[in-house]
Amino acid sequence: MSPDLAIVVAAVALPFIAAALTPLFFRVLGEGTGFAGSLVALSSFGLLASQYGDEGTVALEWIPSLDIALRFHVDGWALLFALLACGIGTLIFTYSPAYMHGESGLVRFYAALLAFMGSIVGVALAADLIAIFLFWELTSLCSFVLIGHYTADDSSQYAARMAMLITVGGGLFLLVGLLLLSIVAGDVVGPASAFDLAAMLEQPDAMAAALRDRGLFLPVLGLLAIGAGTKSAQVPLHFWLPNAMAAPTPVSAFLHSATMVKVGVYFIGRVRPMLVGPEWLFLFATLGLTTMTVCAIMAVAATDIKELLAYSTASHLGLMVAGFGFTSVYGAETGVFHLLNHALFKAALFLVAGIVAHEAGTREIDELGGLRHDLPVTAAITAVVALSMAGIPPFNGFYSKELLFEAAVEASHHHDIGLLGWLYPAVAVFGSIFTVLYSLKFLSLFFGERPADLGHVHRPPVTLLIPPAVLALLAAVVSVDPELAVEVIVQSGLEATAVDPHEMHVGIPTSFSPAVGMSAVTIGVGLLAFPAYGRLHDGIRAIPRTVPPIGANWWYDTIVDGLSDEGREFAEYVHNGLLRTYATWTLAATCTLALTGFVAAGAIAPTEFGLEVTLAIGLVLLVAVIGGLAVVTSDSHIAGVLTLSILGFMVAIFYILASAPDLALTQLVVETLVLVIFLLVIEEIPESDEIEVGRSVRDAVLSVGVGATAFVTVLVTTSARPDGPTDIARYYAEQAVPEGGGTNIVNVTLVDFRGFDTLGELAVVALASISILTLIVMRGRGDDGYPAARGNDGSPGEEPPTDDSRSDEPTDTQRDSQAAGGEDE
Amino acid sequence: MTAVVLAAAVGALFALGTFLLLRRDLVRVVWGLAIISQAANVYLLAMGGIAPATADSVPVLAGHGDHVPTTADPLVQALVLTAIVIGFGMTAFALVLSYRVYEEHGTLDVSELGDRER
Repeated sequence: MSPDLAIVVAAVALPFIAAALTPLFFRVLGEGTGFAGSLVALSSFGLLASQYGDEGTVALEWIPSLDIALRFHVDGWALLFALLACGIGTLIFTYSPAYMHGESGLVRFYAALLAFMGSIVGVALAADLIAIFLFWELTSLCSFVLIGHYTADDSSQYAARMAMLITVGGGLFLLVGLLLLSIVAGDVVGPASAFDLAAMLEQPDAMAAALRDRGLFLPVLGLLAIGAGTKSAQVPLHFWLPNAMAAPTPVSAFLHSATMVKVGVYFIGRVRPMLVGPEWLFLFATLGLTTMTVCAIMAVAATDIKELLAYSTASHLGLMVAGFGFTSVYGAETGVFHLLNHALFKAALFLVAGIVAHEAGTREIDELGGLRHDLPVTAAITAVVALSMAGIPPFNGFYSKELLFEAAVEASHHHDIGLLGWLYPAVAVFGSIFTVLYSLKFLSLFFGERPADLGHVHRPPVTLLIPPAVLALLAAVVSVDPELAVEVIVQSGLEATAVDPHEMHVGIPTSFSPAVGMSAVTIGVGLLAFPAYGRLHDGIRAIPRTVPPIGANWWYDTIVDGLSDEGREFAEYVHNGLLRTYATWTLAATCTLALTGFVAAGAIAPTEFGLEVTLAIGLVLLVAVIGGLAVVTSDSHIAGVLTLSILGFMVAIFYILASAPDLALTQLVVETLVLVIFLLVIEEIPESDEIEVGRSVRDAVLSVGVGATAFVTVLVTTSARPDGPTDIARYYAEQAVPEGGGTNIVNVTLVDFRGFDTLGELAVVALASISILTLIVMRGRGDDGYPAARGNDGSPGEEPPTDDSRSDEPTDTQRDSQAAGGEDE
Repeated sequence: MTAVVLAAAVGALFALGTFLLLRRDLVRVVWGLAIISQAANVYLLAMGGIAPATADSVPVLAGHGDHVPTTADPLVQALVLTAIVIGFGMTAFALVLSYRVYEEHGTLDVSELGDRER
């Protein structure tokens, strides 16, 4: 059965509409707006759930002329992700009112959260490359607003800017990759569906072959990987995620663990059937396992519970990327299943961290302990989800980790990767040991001794407890009966992401296999090493202190600070308030770009040179240029204005000789008017003489450069002119009488064929005259308190307010001349 | 076919206009703008081809008959006509603006004005 367009669009649009209406909700409901959000999320969830089991593409026309449509593709993988977003969204909206109680900026908070949910559902369902990109960047924008929720807090603003820079920057790489993909897709699936990802995924092999033929396979793979890697916080661009923990905890749970950061993973899974191959394995398995290990180590070094969870999130994202990186079916199983498991346990853990921070008043790991007495329900929830995170059987995290081990072992069977065949499993185990360590550490907050200086810990309200409890319950269900989860959703997600999907089975292993051995080593070493956690923690923390460049943050700060300092210096240099500086830079840059463009395009080629003009035209132009020269060399304003007129009138004669009588008439009128206006104004302005030899030489060089560019441009463009009249010119000539009813083609063109252009021109002239009137008359109206000006107005009795900001008043003689000028005009 | 004479004239006018644009006297800057817009108009017209002037080449038809002779490009002429009028508006506005600047600040030296802004 194919999905229903109206329902799919409604599921995506509903959160956006609700976001727009948030101010209204807030006025009615106040802090209870969160519950309205839950309702919206639940509705979207219901709408999407009604499409469960369907598969197919539906399209809403958007830009038909470019074959861009708002296409939505519904399949198991899309539904898994979209339902997760809506489901966890419902819980987050239920959690938020109690957590955000008494905070300001709640309208913005809820609006951004709702818009984010709409974007994430959009990114999950979109089948059009442009729509994917737009929703993708929308999630980054919402994340920016939400991370920077505490607008008065510098660290929150810093974190928001960092997340924005990294994820939006990565999104631009993605855009280029998508455009390259669409270029190739135009040949394979037809130009009408060049942006249709669903159509491309229907013939993945043909797409891959075409990409390789065009030599675009590696560029596309790399660009998409950068986009996905920045979004999903892969090393070395992982550092924005721990900083993003400046956001309120519901945001961290929703965006920065369960959904937004998984968009990259989701997209990797989406394009996996098309791009999978040895390069894919090498790129994503390496990237994912590196991230998994590095971030797990960093999580052990964390001192703050949210920081620990943030690094752990990046580490688990690495696990999913690595899973999808392995080309065997186990790889896809890892990615899909762990996406679900991680969303369940990590969102719950963040919500638990929020409860701890809210009720105990601190997030420092050292200050917390023995919380089971104060928060018994929370402790039970934590036990389930933390052990799941550690990958301890029979909790659900164990199954997907087991699949990763299997995929890592299998890798060398599918490809000849030499040493890497050993390295991948070894690294997977090594990274997982740290996962066990930090998971146990998080769990130990609830056990052991209660620190003496930990104050009174309140009982959390029930709306804070329900969301993590629901998640923990779901995690427990998956733990007890993983086959159920597989049957319900994971299998259909697998079919969209695996190359050769077959029926998937998971469960507690009953016989020995390499993967079982790896799990045993991981858990065993993890448990044995746990007593040494403190020493490990200190040891890892000491590394970046001694060698700062090893931290990614250090690179970010150095580069961003360096760039903004450079930018400031550069701005002072080119943007110094002097008109001539601006003109110099603009003109020089334009000339350089134009000439470089001509050279790069090979446009400058020796062609036949023609005079094309009669002797008369040549002479007239010569006089015009001489007139221009006289303007430049004139030492008085009067001489300059008069010689400028010579130039103008010569151009009018040129128009006559070039068979353009209308232009000549207009030019003559305009030149006369300009001459009169110049003479009127110049009389009021004193001469200013300036002779600076050094500057003149520099200016002359630039002028010659500009002139040469213009010369070359005219040569290049006139030689590329089509012979004879163009189609459009012939059209205007032929249709002037039948359609316009006039014999003067230029006139008919202006007032008839292109009447709106002329209307625009009239608007410009009208604006110019209004501005001129304002500039001259408003001063005389006396908003500045000059006696002479007031005298003109004939209203001496009124005392206009004095403008204190005017510090540089003209001298008396200047005032007199101004008054005279006002009368003349 | 390339139009060397026109190219030379346009290039020369652009160079002269640029030189004026870089002067410190605001009135001369306005002149520079005027010269550059004249040169741009000549360039635009040249793109339509400069036909030797004959009775037929003027884009005004003899009557309401069926015969339409090959004329000079009417489209560029329409464009240039618009450009001339807009150039006039711009020059007049720039000039009055400089006048007002002089009234306010007592100088038309753009370097002094720029220093004052800082």
